[in-house]
Amino acid sequence: MPSSISRRDFLKISGVAAGALALGKFLPPRAAEAARLYGLLDAASSGYIPSMCEMCVWRCGLLAKVETGRVVKLEGNPDHPHSNGKLCPRGQSGLMNTYDPDRVLTPLVRVGKRGEGKFRKASWDEALGIVADNMLSIKNKYGPEAMIFSTTHCLSQFQFENLLNAYGSPNYGTQRSLCFNAMIVSNLMTYGMEEPNRDYSQLKYIILTGRNLMEAISTSETSALSKAIDRGVKVVALDPRFTKTAAKATEWLAIRPGTDLAFHLALLNVIVSEHLYNAPFVSSYTDGFDKLAGSISQYTPEWAAGITEIPADTIRRIAREFAAAAPYAMAHNGWRTSNFVNSFQTERAIAILNALVGNWNVAMFPASGEESSGLGAPPQPSYPRISAQRLDGVPWKYPFVPLKIGVFQELRDAALSGMPYQAHGWFISRQNPAMSLPDRGRTLQAFGKMDFIVTIDILMNDTAWFSDVVLPEASYLERYDPLNIVGDKAFIRQPVIEPQGEGKSSLWIYKELGKLLGLGDYFQYADDEDYLKQQLAPLGVSLDDVRQKGYVDLPAESTEFSEPTWSTPSGKIEIFSSTLAQGNFAGVPQWEEPPVPAAGQFYLLTGKVAQFTQFGTQNNQLLHKYSDDPRLWINAATAKSLGLADNDPVEVTSDAGKVHIRLQVTQAIRPDCVYLTPGFGHLSRGLTTAYGLGACDSDLHVTYTDPISGGQALSQTFVTVKKI
Amino acid sequence: MKMHLTINPRLRLQPLVLVLLAFMGIAFVIAMVRYASGIGAISNLGNSYPWGLWISFDLFTGVAISSGGFLMAATVYIFELKQFKPLLRPSILTAFLGYIMVVIALLVDLGHPERIWYMMIHMNPTSVLLEIGICVMTYLAVLAIEFAPVVFEGLKWQKFAHIIHRFIMPFVILGVVLSTLHQSSLGSLLLIQPAKLYPLWWTPILPILFFISALSIGLSMILLESSLSALYFHRGLETHLLEKLARVIPIVLAVYALVRFGQLAIAGDLQYLFISGLMSFLFWTEIIIGVLTPMILFSIKRVRQSRKGLLAGAVIVLFGMTLNRFNVSWFAVQHPDPITYLPTFMSNVHYIPSLPEVFLSIGIFSAGILAFGLAVKYLPVFEDEEPHNPPA
Amino acid sequence: MTKFTQNAFIFDATRCIDCRACMVACSVENNIAMDKTRIWVAGIGLKGEYPRLERASMVYHCMHCAAPDCLSACPVGAYNKRDDGLVLYNAKKCIGCRYCMNACPFGVPHFDFDKGLIEGAFIDKCTMCPQRIDIGLEPACVATCPTDALVFGERADLVKEAHARIQAHPDRYVDHVYGETENGGTSYLILSHVPFTELGLPALGSLPVKDVSEKVMEFTIPFALGWGAVLTATAVGVHLVNQKKEANAKPPVEAEEPAEVKK
Repeated sequence: MPSSISRRDFLKISGVAAGALALGKFLPPRAAEAARLYGLLDAASSGYIPSMCEMCVWRCGLLAKVETGRVVKLEGNPDHPHSNGKLCPRGQSGLMNTYDPDRVLTPLVRVGKRGEGKFRKASWDEALGIVADNMLSIKNKYGPEAMIFSTTHCLSQFQFENLLNAYGSPNYGTQRSLCFNAMIVSNLMTYGMEEPNRDYSQLKYIILTGRNLMEAISTSETSALSKAIDRGVKVVALDPRFTKTAAKATEWLAIRPGTDLAFHLALLNVIVSEHLYNAPFVSSYTDGFDKLAGSISQYTPEWAAGITEIPADTIRRIAREFAAAAPYAMAHNGWRTSNFVNSFQTERAIAILNALVGNWNVAMFPASGEESSGLGAPPQPSYPRISAQRLDGVPWKYPFVPLKIGVFQELRDAALSGMPYQAHGWFISRQNPAMSLPDRGRTLQAFGKMDFIVTIDILMNDTAWFSDVVLPEASYLERYDPLNIVGDKAFIRQPVIEPQGEGKSSLWIYKELGKLLGLGDYFQYADDEDYLKQQLAPLGVSLDDVRQKGYVDLPAESTEFSEPTWSTPSGKIEIFSSTLAQGNFAGVPQWEEPPVPAAGQFYLLTGKVAQFTQFGTQNNQLLHKYSDDPRLWINAATAKSLGLADNDPVEVTSDAGKVHIRLQVTQAIRPDCVYLTPGFGHLSRGLTTAYGLGACDSDLHVTYTDPISGGQALSQTFVTVKKI
Repeated sequence: MKMHLTINPRLRLQPLVLVLLAFMGIAFVIAMVRYASGIGAISNLGNSYPWGLWISFDLFTGVAISSGGFLMAATVYIFELKQFKPLLRPSILTAFLGYIMVVIALLVDLGHPERIWYMMIHMNPTSVLLEIGICVMTYLAVLAIEFAPVVFEGLKWQKFAHIIHRFIMPFVILGVVLSTLHQSSLGSLLLIQPAKLYPLWWTPILPILFFISALSIGLSMILLESSLSALYFHRGLETHLLEKLARVIPIVLAVYALVRFGQLAIAGDLQYLFISGLMSFLFWTEIIIGVLTPMILFSIKRVRQSRKGLLAGAVIVLFGMTLNRFNVSWFAVQHPDPITYLPTFMSNVHYIPSLPEVFLSIGIFSAGILAFGLAVKYLPVFEDEEPHNPPA
Repeated sequence: MTKFTQNAFIFDATRCIDCRACMVACSVENNIAMDKTRIWVAGIGLKGEYPRLERASMVYHCMHCAAPDCLSACPVGAYNKRDDGLVLYNAKKCIGCRYCMNACPFGVPHFDFDKGLIEGAFIDKCTMCPQRIDIGLEPACVATCPTDALVFGERADLVKEAHARIQAHPDRYVDHVYGETENGGTSYLILSHVPFTELGLPALGSLPVKDVSEKVMEFTIPFALGWGAVLTATAVGVHLVNQKKEANAKPPVEAEEPAEVKK
């Protein structure tokens, strides 16, 4: 198989492509036809097609049942390790995501003011032309760094980065700093990898700090935890709310928000001081234990009890139980624990806790990177050199944050402040930063500073609503994406139906846009199928085979046992992180006092529900059918003392803004906390099901960022609640 | 005994007719909306309360208050107590109209009224409701036949009237059998809800209790209908006959009370009598008003012999026994519990009939009253003393 | 042809995380309207007072009873029970009387109170996905449940499995398999960590609720015939007695001169 294409071939392909573009037709009919050929669909265009879900980042494999060219049911793909044949409620609702009556199916160009929602339909030619003109204009006037590119991690990430790098902008925003920077950076410091894999099958004891697995469902992991509980595994859940996970846990600790660091430091204290750690493992595979032992002695359970509001005896007991269960004990690193600035230190403490009980290769396993897969890729010319600083402060303000992860909220703030330089354009793909970034007001203000905003989306989400051009992506049931590696297999996402309207895959969009930007050389694939074929080239497997099977096996890694290693400076698990120390930060986890609400204020908690994913699914009628009203949770005793009753309308105010919402009086939350389900309070009237529901927590969130990991601290926002 | 009456069945209050017509009109509109937009559009019925006012009032109570017909037919034809003949035709008419009102109510309440005849071709023999349906339809035919002579005489088609008179007997017996069956079966309807009907009412002998109480209701209905007709149509009241009927009521009620309390004792449910809050209240109200008070009243000869006494006593029985029907079919029935904390598809857990529901029942009832008045005006419902051919 | 001779479910309330995937799957699989459902969440939900709290919820749908009360009650026989356990509703026969809704002790049948004559108001309820189980798949709710709170299989085996789970964790479960005998046995077996009434289930004995009703119904025709016979006999008897009375009460007919004997 040719791995490079001559310039002449390339021109031929692009000529064809241009012609096809002019015709407005490209991918669709061949997909169905090929599916028919390979027995996936019968003559009546009915059958099962394997693909992957995109209702959240877990990307369960699915089997789409198609009848006469329409998706009628989705099933979990038993071959996919993330689903094992199951789909969560969002996965099951996926066809309503594709058939949502509010789908954006043609390119749209704004005609009114930003936020008015007035758009006109345009052809792809015109729309892409407008986008390219604006992007080139910004590049010429202000330099490529004046263009911000942001996306939430998705399967076409590599091509997104390709566009970004080819264009020459360093300003790459992802959702990661809104989610798990604390965890990733902590693991990088400790284990030299972003996140170890977990295996529940032998566990006897689990500590969950947040990570509401029963509501923030990752199908296979949720299932694994459930099975573990069923087996009788002891689960300790730290959460200021009695979540559905807490309800399944053996022990629920209603910990004070922001203080789980104290809890974990105290656990470390007990395990170290009582010599409950796995000494051989610690001495063979870890570095810096002595430094930990020195600093940890101050963090006694008695000290922690006053801070966390958990009795010292409980903390001590849990530490002993945890250590006694070693190595079948695991402290789950979650995404960001209590979502405070000190969460980075908490993640460090958790990582070390796991190291102390020596659960490596028992419960925690090295994670393979995406690079070492054996898949091919189209040839890439080298990228232009970028001299401009990143707006998000990486690495000059945040030396420990990987470039691919960035600090998104910092990027937004820089776009607003114009420091160190003013950005002028924002290219957004599969992301809703208007709602996902803390402080929606600021984000909208930052939008106001942009000369040009373009969004690729399937629905008129809030970010699209405020954009100048909206490009319709084909939904995940309607498109190809690059192969997705899970374990030792690469899974395919393929269209199961013809894309509706003018929807196109992002692979296509990036390439077409790239061409108009003069960057065609960086997109050396003829079409989506060609891209996949190039990925499969080293494996010697045909695309049609993969489409039928749903995946391709990757070359197995050597199974012979080798000494565990970690990609840290010492090559060992770094209890003491020399990297952090060199940056003048504490090398071992240390206590950081979290802020506390003033009198009359509440902690504003956020968290997940099983029926929605972040900020893009609230318009799905099937999910809406079975979801709870998104009201503000408040503790029953607290409500009574304030003279508030269930369903009362209240105004919630923070330093960032205010919202109006109705109350849900409940026993399931700490008296000093309130909780709002994220993802509601949309401004876009293009979401006819979601518009008018609930309130937007982002309107309330004050932007706080951890200086080490760049993670945002959503739960550090405090609010007042008053009846209206 | 001679009757001294000339009937001047002038409906005294013209405004009353207008009011009745107005109610009928409103009910008609409501029914049309129901057919267009569904039962939920004009009622508060829902998945937790599939049966409500219409079933309790129009079906249960409506059938019960039509029980005078078969009683009188049996009295006159089977037991040949000819002196009660003057009471026969009005009670047949009442029963006939009563059952027509039941059918009309069903035509609104059924999801598919156009399929009401399916009960004749698709028959599930274990279904109490089937039995009621078949019996009601057949009995309606029987009542039509029993009432036909009145119509024929009104039309001066004496020969046809004669023919029916000759062959009335089998129909009377059929009518009594059918009435026994479905008066008791209304109670049997609740047999399949032992977990839902409160123990103070649910018993395997519900059909027997319903039949016995139907006798007392039927007797009271005859008293009531006669009293009201006398008032409105300026007739004399056959007090002497009514007095005899009234004498039976305490006996029937005594038997009813015996069986009712006996059953509670045997089932070990006496414990619920006083400790059940609202249920106890409903039970004792029913017993005191429907059983004890009339038992006492009608035991007093003076009451039995006075116009007012007869009317009052009858009303009290009817009130109490109507409450019984409402208790059994609605008030004492606990529907699937609303511990669904998901915004619920099982709506209307607390059911109160909507105004349109109430007006529909009022409208149907008004139609019945109007029809009764018209029949009385144009047909020889209130016999003069001229005897007809004795039964063959 | 399904795989099992008696299709049944176990719902394990200790495994259910109230994610509602089963409900979305059912809605999609059976093309249910957005404002209707065949499966719903029941139970007291959150119980207790902060911080001593517990959750108790259950998803349920038709129990596919061994002795279906809806089937017994329906006047036109619009329900039937397949040999392999499914209780199915036939809209073609339904007259919309809603007696089945009263009969079902679980409140399962739901009715289209919002549909008029032209649209057609019918009962709707779980069918146990015959379109799936007849081709060897599990019902939609079971197939997707991420925590295996719902499992599907041969009833006899599932009863054993349910008891085995209780044995393995006696501190976790209420020592009873609901539906094993309730109402004569159901196809939806339930395991719980809280009393079953807290899940919204009625307390039922092992006698199906239709039992008394059916026994009484068996009497109907014999009773009718007997009562008819009694009434006829009474009528005849009374008539004869009255005739005799009349005859006796008549003024004596003048004795006729004996006819002259013709010589």
